[in-house]
Amino acid sequence: MLTHEYKVEMTCSGCSGAVTRILSKKLTEPGSKFDVNLEAKTVTITSDLPEATLTEMLKKCGKEVTYIGSK
Amino acid sequence: MACDTKEIMISITGMTCNSCVKTIESEVGKENGIHKIKVSLENMNAKVSFDPQVLTNKDVVELIEDLGFDAEVET
Repeated sequence: MLTHEYKVEMTCSGCSGAVTRILSKKLTEPGSKFDVNLEAKTVTITSDLPEATLTEMLKKCGKEVTYIGSK
Repeated sequence: MACDTKEIMISITGMTCNSCVKTIESEVGKENGIHKIKVSLENMNAKVSFDPQVLTNKDVVELIEDLGFDAEVET
């Protein structure tokens, strides 16, 4: 499983809450996990899904999403 | 064809600041079938007028939930 890192323009806890809710609803495959960091405005996702799918999922929250890379 | 409009109130939880309001209004606003959407942060709800031929109440609620907020139609 790859760990992908994204920069997401979250401005408040409401936005990070929204991203958290979206990921917990949509990221259901076993073993996948995610971490939303409001201060650093980053979202780290560990999943088998292709990066494009994850980017699409994050863009749903209406915020600007930039792909940093995967580790 | 008569452009009929249906107006519903949707209560939204999870919004904490104005940028969430702007996100919802812009994202839902650009969906086809949505005529107007006014989100109120104070009373945590949104007035949505839309074309019932194109969307149902449930579709509108799902649009907001897709954005990561909890929504339900105020009966």
